[in-house]
Amino acid sequence: MKTHRHRTLSVVLLLGSLGLASFLFAAAAPDGKARKDSVQDSIHTALVQVTDSDSMRVQGEQRFHANCGRCHATPQKFPPRVMATVIRHMRVRATITDADMRLILSYMTQ
Amino acid sequence: MPYPYAKSAAGLHRRLAFFGLWLVLFAALSYAQTSDTEKPVPILTGNACAFSFVSGGQQVIDTQINPVLLVPLGDRWLVEARAEFEGAFQRPPGGGPYGGPVDKHVDYAQVDYIASSYVTITAGRFLTPFGVFNERLYPVWIRALQPDPLIYPINTAPSDGAMLRGGFAVNPHANLNYAAYVSATSIGIDSVDSERHVGGRLGVFLPGPRLEVGGSWQKTLQDDRKNAFGFHMGWQPAKAPLNLRAEFAHSFIGSGYWIESAYRLSQAHFWQKAMRRTEVVARAQQFYVGEAGPDAAADADLPGANTRMAEFGVNYFLRDGLKGIASYGRQFSSAGNFNQWSFGVAYRWLIPLGRVGAQ
Repeated sequence: MKTHRHRTLSVVLLLGSLGLASFLFAAAAPDGKARKDSVQDSIHTALVQVTDSDSMRVQGEQRFHANCGRCHATPQKFPPRVMATVIRHMRVRATITDADMRLILSYMTQ
Repeated sequence: MPYPYAKSAAGLHRRLAFFGLWLVLFAALSYAQTSDTEKPVPILTGNACAFSFVSGGQQVIDTQINPVLLVPLGDRWLVEARAEFEGAFQRPPGGGPYGGPVDKHVDYAQVDYIASSYVTITAGRFLTPFGVFNERLYPVWIRALQPDPLIYPINTAPSDGAMLRGGFAVNPHANLNYAAYVSATSIGIDSVDSERHVGGRLGVFLPGPRLEVGGSWQKTLQDDRKNAFGFHMGWQPAKAPLNLRAEFAHSFIGSGYWIESAYRLSQAHFWQKAMRRTEVVARAQQFYVGEAGPDAAADADLPGANTRMAEFGVNYFLRDGLKGIASYGRQFSSAGNFNQWSFGVAYRWLIPLGRVGAQ
């Protein structure tokens, strides 16, 4: 109960801080600059996501070949909900690590 | 002599049936509450095959269906089961139509709870993790050569009990995997022929060179109460489509090893479309009868005499999950030398038991 209350309080404080920071930033910056910064931030975020996504795909492919290739040939990619079940089964059966499981699932569902 | 647990068998059947019903209902209710597009969905998968084995001039038509049911529950649970329906048909000695027994049994029916990144708890009937062939390489669509290795029956009887297992990175260059189990039955259920034993398996996997080595141990807690141990290795070099595997096992009833290499011809510069789908396999193996003697070895489906064997095979991957196989082997032993041929097809299938959305 205590932990739950702490967690709720932390989330409220975090959201409040973010809201306050956004409000102060928006109030301090001129409208045009704010819009331009906002667009640049969006582009930057998208690029970071693409890079992260590419990196995850490359790592996932490596982990896939290293772990799954130990026993069987490359299977086709199945829908994400099916892959999530298959990878959970393989995690238990082949004692794949938690990190490898996440990366392989990411690769196999892209 | 009547079986000491026979009186409680009927009650046990009832309890197991109720447990099974509860499990299915729980799974269905849990699944009904799931709506996310990323949530795992129950699936029915497995393999089917038809092979012709010719050993010493005697032909056996072997057909199998091995359904595997996977039911994920929440974020940490998995209920999984595999059954085997196998028909081995051959002509009677005087000629006539093919006929023979159809064997039906449950290979495993287990509940897994992923407790943390390091530990998964398994309970129920599970495949005994002695070596790696039994757990990882047994399905017909996975194995490179269809005949079982000679040492396969050594300490791979199913386990009914509990197991702790897991895999984790000890550093960026090495993963450790382990399994520790106890099998605690002789509960008198038909077709359950497991035994009391404890054991464990430890392996180290190096993702860089793609090399895995490990060892297994098992102590039987009934009859002769003997120890058994084994070693396994697997290597898949990154620069060549080669798969090298080996196992060694030693027990009271016998010991031996097998070493197998499978090479995918994807680097060939001719007939590339066909070569990419072709895999050539070679395996050498040896078995030595143990202290228990030849009769005990034969009772355990092991050769009744010291045996050597060499095998060669070709697998052709027609499409994902479907492959044609052919192999030839020659067995040498004091009981007689003979050839062993095998031909056939193996197919892996998968059916989602729920909505999966777009791929």
